[in-house]
Amino acid sequence: MLDAFSRSVASADAKTAPVGSGDLAALRGYVADGNKRLDAVNAITSNASCVVSDAVTGMICENTGLIQAGGNCYPTRRMAACLRDGEIVLRYISYALLAGDASVLDDRCLNGLKETYIALGVPTQSAARAVAIMKSSAVAHIGQTNTPAAGGTKYRKMESTVGDCSALVAEAASYFDRVISGIA
Amino acid sequence: MKSVVTTVVTAADAAGRFPSQNDLEAVQGNIQRAAARLEAAEKLASGLDAVTKEAGDACFNKYPYLKQPGEAGENQTKIDKCYRDLGHYLRLINYCLVVGGTGPLDEWGIAGAREVFRGLGLPTTAYVEALMFTRDRGCAPRDMSPQALNEYKSYIDYLINALS
Repeated sequence: MLDAFSRSVASADAKTAPVGSGDLAALRGYVADGNKRLDAVNAITSNASCVVSDAVTGMICENTGLIQAGGNCYPTRRMAACLRDGEIVLRYISYALLAGDASVLDDRCLNGLKETYIALGVPTQSAARAVAIMKSSAVAHIGQTNTPAAGGTKYRKMESTVGDCSALVAEAASYFDRVISGIA
Repeated sequence: MKSVVTTVVTAADAAGRFPSQNDLEAVQGNIQRAAARLEAAEKLASGLDAVTKEAGDACFNKYPYLKQPGEAGENQTKIDKCYRDLGHYLRLINYCLVVGGTGPLDEWGIAGAREVFRGLGLPTTAYVEALMFTRDRGCAPRDMSPQALNEYKSYIDYLINALS
């Protein structure tokens, strides 16, 4: 597993070169935005169960066949497995966001996930849709762009310092996209 | 690669939980100390060749017998390899300063080093001498800020302890 720092070390080692000014400038960026990053991770973890259950609910609302007899979220045992998987995916995304590198997500979550889903008969399109909903929800929490209209009864705005966090929002979104392209 | 963040993530993953407030605080502590070590890494990287040369020269000056026939520095090829090794060690120290932990030194410099040194008949004392010279040569604020120098020297000391 790598983080932003050890990623630059690993690539420098491949060239037998020290980590020089160019790489260090990017790492100073990670350090300077460290608190923002921690706030972003907190935004995901604090709302994890809401984000996950909302995504699975949304996925089912769009495709009610999932909870009819023969559907992949029927009976509750399989629905529970679905919620569990959503939480696992979100958890690895929060690790990747904390580390500033996708290697933990790739190695421990996505490696073989698509093959497992196919073998178990899980509809990967639906799974990808649930991850996409988690993406919009998490991105809204991190960027504080969620509105009462979009949030409904579960509307929540994180109480962190307001500032420019577009880079972090984009980074978090890229991890969700990575999962979607990994299983779809 | 072991670092504060990967250690935190590994522990959280083993427990199957999201990163907790404790984890975030640990990472925050690591970040707060990062400026000094990144400064040290940058200064070391920019002067790596010069530092390597000084370290090797100091070692061969103190132990001139190393250049005699049958010793570790008996010809120019072997002498060059000594300088190359010192450069590798200093590069790994640069990596450690970037990562903020001893992971790179442990994995690439220290694991198996004892066996290699013994197998090739190399004197570790010579490396220790070169590294001690490098450590004592470092000077604040000429080379880097005092806090950065402190980080830099602590990794040299870690390596010296592992080799001696």
